[in-house]
Amino acid sequence: MLGYIGRRILATIPVMAVVGLFVFSLLYFAPGDPAAIIAGDQASPEDIIRIRATLGLDRPFLVRFGEWSWQIIHGDLGTSIFTNLPVTTMIGQRIQPTLSLMLVTLVFAIVVAVPLGVVAAWKAGTLIDRLVMGIAVTGFSVPVFVVGYVLAYVFALQLGWLPVQGYTPIEQGLWPWLSNLILPAVTLGLVYIALIARVTRATMLDVLSQDYVRTARAKGLSQGPVLFVHALKNAAVPIVTVIGIGIALLIGGAVVTETVFAIPGLGRLTVDAILRRDYPVIQGVVLLFSFVYVLVNLAIDLFYTVLDPRIRY
Amino acid sequence: MTATVAPFPDHAPPAGLPPEGPTPKAPPPPGLAVAAPLPDVIPVRKRRGRVWTYIRRNPTIVVGGVLLLIVFLMAVLAPWLGTVDPTALAPAKRTRVPSALHWFGTDMLGRDVYSRVVYGARVSLLVGFAVAFLASIAGLAVGLVSGMVRWLDGIVMRVVDGMMSIPPILLAIALMALTRGSIQNVIIAITIAEIPRVARLVRGVVLSLREQPYVEAAVTTGTRMPAIIWRHILPNTLAPMTVQATYICASAMITEAILSFIGAGVPPATPSWGNIMAEGRALWQVKFYIILFPAIFLSMTVLAVNLVGDGLRDALDPRMAKDV
Repeated sequence: MLGYIGRRILATIPVMAVVGLFVFSLLYFAPGDPAAIIAGDQASPEDIIRIRATLGLDRPFLVRFGEWSWQIIHGDLGTSIFTNLPVTTMIGQRIQPTLSLMLVTLVFAIVVAVPLGVVAAWKAGTLIDRLVMGIAVTGFSVPVFVVGYVLAYVFALQLGWLPVQGYTPIEQGLWPWLSNLILPAVTLGLVYIALIARVTRATMLDVLSQDYVRTARAKGLSQGPVLFVHALKNAAVPIVTVIGIGIALLIGGAVVTETVFAIPGLGRLTVDAILRRDYPVIQGVVLLFSFVYVLVNLAIDLFYTVLDPRIRY
Repeated sequence: MTATVAPFPDHAPPAGLPPEGPTPKAPPPPGLAVAAPLPDVIPVRKRRGRVWTYIRRNPTIVVGGVLLLIVFLMAVLAPWLGTVDPTALAPAKRTRVPSALHWFGTDMLGRDVYSRVVYGARVSLLVGFAVAFLASIAGLAVGLVSGMVRWLDGIVMRVVDGMMSIPPILLAIALMALTRGSIQNVIIAITIAEIPRVARLVRGVVLSLREQPYVEAAVTTGTRMPAIIWRHILPNTLAPMTVQATYICASAMITEAILSFIGAGVPPATPSWGNIMAEGRALWQVKFYIILFPAIFLSMTVLAVNLVGDGLRDALDPRMAKDV
């Protein structure tokens, strides 16, 4: 078991190395010569060569990649071209809204999607099932900003139930924080719900045809315990897996959702950085998001043994 | 020699057996109903029925296909659909609400939103289909190599793992940051972001196929590798690839809209659904229709592609049909 954990953690190193190589290449191949920018308009070609040498920009690709990786491992993501602040500081300022949004979405999506999928599997082939699957296809098809604007228009502008845009830090109270996140979380959660509900239904259909479910029913258990205790427990592994994979959807969607709802988070930071061509910031955000994604899926892999004691490594 | 006379005259049934031919109907036993006699000829099935059966069996593929056809015709026939130049500026009549003259109103620069939405179909379809095609070809190549060449498999799959751990939209955004915004660059960026998924799928199919008896038989009889791939492997990847390609098409359309929406996609002057919404963003609280119309068209188109994909999956891959 310990050996498995060790091997699984080691396996993430090449993955992160590929991510790192890609992100580094991004800056390496980015248009514009940083030395020329620093030297300014008056500089002679010799000046530029000198500055390039002092910055170490004239050294080979792999040497620079190694040095850059060394910095990253020590928590140095470089300095923003635009604000001159360390990228880690900028990420630190923006991380709370994004983290809040993703957590609220995660909880909301799981609470809605799993029961939907279970009911769809239980009522397979009926109108309820078709309805749930219809919602799922729609969830996949309606882009996240479309949902966002429609929800904001109806529930915030027309009905006035919730704040239209913006973000309130959690320090200012639970409700102000949550009320600002409800619409964004529903927006971001829709495609995630579609994904989880589909997989839950598929797995439950499989599990419900197993002998032990028939046994549970035969011994007189009512529908609730059969579905949610016996069956769902055995369907847990694929569901948890897809929740982990779906984090990628959440990250991508967060960029858009934050733009729609004017939430000052990492997504907004990314969009601003793109528009300003602030490559170190883009690098930092892509690295961070990928790292989180890899970590979450690593944690889920290790969690399997808890979910399903039959799994032994 | 005369033939021995048969004990019975020709055609006469032996005694004891009931005579052939229609027998007078015996009255049915009490309590039993008698079915009506079958007609001599089974009536010819109407041809119309066949189309109807197809629609009834594959409602999703038909609905999706028809929707997609409408969007396609709209894109092709854009100049003849009562549109004006989608890039023509008219500051004097900016942000007009929908009317008989401007069906979907006008945007901040006075451009006709209806014309822009109709022309926008071209960008979405082009990006969707181009990405689906290119990503399928490239992913097929990578997946085949990875599945067939053992020593490369490890390296290729580590790279694919790494690429897949960057969320696709983020990957496309990062690539777009490197280049100037153009339709071509958008297609390339989204294609690169989609390749790993196809490669994974193809590799999985190849790995399971190469264990099949008929592939082993081909290897044993000395068939060359290219022939095995061409005859035995490739045809079997087609069905899952086609299904996957439709989903890539749908997701590429959404990604293009997202890229354009956040300002990292096609140039702002190009009428694309993402661009129209990006322009409507500043005014969405007061002029919601600027965002609403492209949003409806984008959602319907993506839905159509997804429906076709679901239908194809049910038709081509019966094992998957039961699942999701």
